[in-house]
Amino acid sequence: MAKTSTTAGHGAHGDGAHAEHAAHAHISRGTYYKVFAALMVLMALTVGAWWIEGIIALPRLLGVAIAMAIAIAKTTLIILYFMHVKVSERATQLYAGAAFVGFAIMVIITMADYFARGWPPPPGPLP
Amino acid sequence: MATTALPQRGYLHDDTPHLGEWIRSWLFTVDHKRIAILYLLAINFFFLLGGLAATFVRIELITPQGDLMSSDVYNRMFTLHGVIMIFFFLIPAIPAVLGNFLLPLMLGARDLAFPRLNLLSWYLYMFGGIFALSAAVLGGVDTGWTFYTPFSSTYSNSNVILTITGAFIMGFSSIATGVNFIATTHKMRAPGLTWFRLPLFVWAMYATSLVIVLATPVVGIALLLVAIERLWGVGIFDPALGGDPLLFQHLFWFYSHPAVYIMILPAFGVISELISTFSRKRIFGYEFIAFSSMAIAILGFLVWGHHMFVSSQSVYSSLVFSFITMLIAIPSAIKVFNWTATLYKGSISYRTPMLYALGFIGLFVIGGLTGIFLGVVAIDIHVTDTYFVVAHFHYVMVGGTIMAYLGGIHFWWPKMTGRMYNEIWGGISALIIFVGFNMTFFPQFVLGYLGMPRRYHVYPEEFQILHVLSSAGATVLAVGFIIPIIYLMLSLKTGRIAGDNPWDATGLEWKTTSPPPTHNFEAIPVVTTEAYAYPPEAAARDAAEWRPGSPL
Ligand SMILES: [Cu+2]
Repeated sequence: MAKTSTTAGHGAHGDGAHAEHAAHAHISRGTYYKVFAALMVLMALTVGAWWIEGIIALPRLLGVAIAMAIAIAKTTLIILYFMHVKVSERATQLYAGAAFVGFAIMVIITMADYFARGWPPPPGPLP
Repeated sequence: MATTALPQRGYLHDDTPHLGEWIRSWLFTVDHKRIAILYLLAINFFFLLGGLAATFVRIELITPQGDLMSSDVYNRMFTLHGVIMIFFFLIPAIPAVLGNFLLPLMLGARDLAFPRLNLLSWYLYMFGGIFALSAAVLGGVDTGWTFYTPFSSTYSNSNVILTITGAFIMGFSSIATGVNFIATTHKMRAPGLTWFRLPLFVWAMYATSLVIVLATPVVGIALLLVAIERLWGVGIFDPALGGDPLLFQHLFWFYSHPAVYIMILPAFGVISELISTFSRKRIFGYEFIAFSSMAIAILGFLVWGHHMFVSSQSVYSSLVFSFITMLIAIPSAIKVFNWTATLYKGSISYRTPMLYALGFIGLFVIGGLTGIFLGVVAIDIHVTDTYFVVAHFHYVMVGGTIMAYLGGIHFWWPKMTGRMYNEIWGGISALIIFVGFNMTFFPQFVLGYLGMPRRYHVYPEEFQILHVLSSAGATVLAVGFIIPIIYLMLSLKTGRIAGDNPWDATGLEWKTTSPPPTHNFEAIPVVTTEAYAYPPEAAARDAAEWRPGSPL
């Protein structure tokens, strides 16, 4: 653990600075290329799916679901590797996760409103 | 103690020979304390400006006719008041001034984690402010601070783009501050300063930063979309273009309800410090206060729909939002009960900051409880867009945030400047503000309940007496705000030298000199006790030794 004292000055104190990942963890260049390749494949998949869905007349809802699934996969790759969340500290990962949860809450509750808006209103006061 | 590791000069001390260098030493400073002072000046300037707009609104409302300004000018006036007060005063006030100044001091750190980012946040704030001001100078904006679509995106003939650009830029200033505070709290606590030894002000700042970082981007995007629709006619919110106006309200309130907690959570933090110090007791239920801040921060993300009960939102959504809104009352009440319990058997001294703190508790309770009324769908439908709502949020924002801001400024003024202010004038102005505030806003509850709509300047004769009362109260309030400006300025020249710890308070910020040296501490302190470690007999001893005119 002593080898982590490379961070000069004020970073060295503070018992909260438990050495989770020694200094800065790295993502190798090879991994970046692999992730890039994966993203390109996923992009091809997105376009391909749109094409095939047009031919076999898939229900729209299913089409959107497939597109969303591919998009989420892409986003996850970018967040984990290009944004270094995979090799970041626990606190950073926690905040990245919290941002995702917050975003999910916004989308889900807003969509729930759209979904329920057409529902019949509850009956009025009792006679 | 006699040996010094770092030069012991206050951060305000300057040895710059030329005016130009002096200006540069301030405008390019990365010292969190100097940046806090820059923020203090800028934010108070905007407060006075927002207050000026409010003055015109209150003058107009003295008579039932629209005789001072046209409806159009009136719309622009209350929008100016709202935009400036919300985005350029209430949101940054306590975090950017007191938080910036105190967070590193309370943590026993030499500065924030990212000092340059801190300076950038001030420039972003100023830049956003210039946009908003230029919009006002060029004729103003008439949408209200809420920028509801499709009026803002399609129909309004005012400077919508300039104003929302200002708010957009200001958002990044908030985010920069939030990120800085989170990183600093995680990484730069002094040895021995565990999470549960942190002052409650730090907990409050942490919870606030969480909300800032997670919510602010959403309003940024919502405002950007308004601009896109307005500039290029892309259909997003305008039904005529195939958009949905309710989508804007969802996105806007997803930020703007949590923004209420960006405004009030820091105030809770200040009040915890004041109540404990001036009761000379350790705070009651430390963990509960700390966690209730976090609970409010998280629950605050789930209630935004209570602003949309009459907007044609699904009634089932309204039901759920109403229920979760009730839940928020629990952590808020926990805080109030804990403060009250802290007062119990304390040795209470009615110094100026404590007067503000006690005023805060009373006013916040009224503001919070009327919030519960408004969270009930049935009552909300009755009083939506009336002065009842206006009174409610002014009790929370002015009675809460501004009381705490002023209390905090007074409490830490000796630390910031090294001098004491005039205690007698301090007490007088605190009382004037309390009286003026209630006189201004209590009649508005009655007005709203009787049916006076907000944002109207022509109204039936029978409301006049309450409006006149409210305007008269606003005058008293204005006097109450001007007196502190005068005696605080005077204290810089003539105030008694404060000493390191004039209030005999706990907390690391009182362990260093007043004003603190540039690097805050001679040597990084080591913490061995909990926060608010007043000995159990402190209150009793204090009370026994009390005599008229004693300092505490
Ligand atoms: Cu709300």
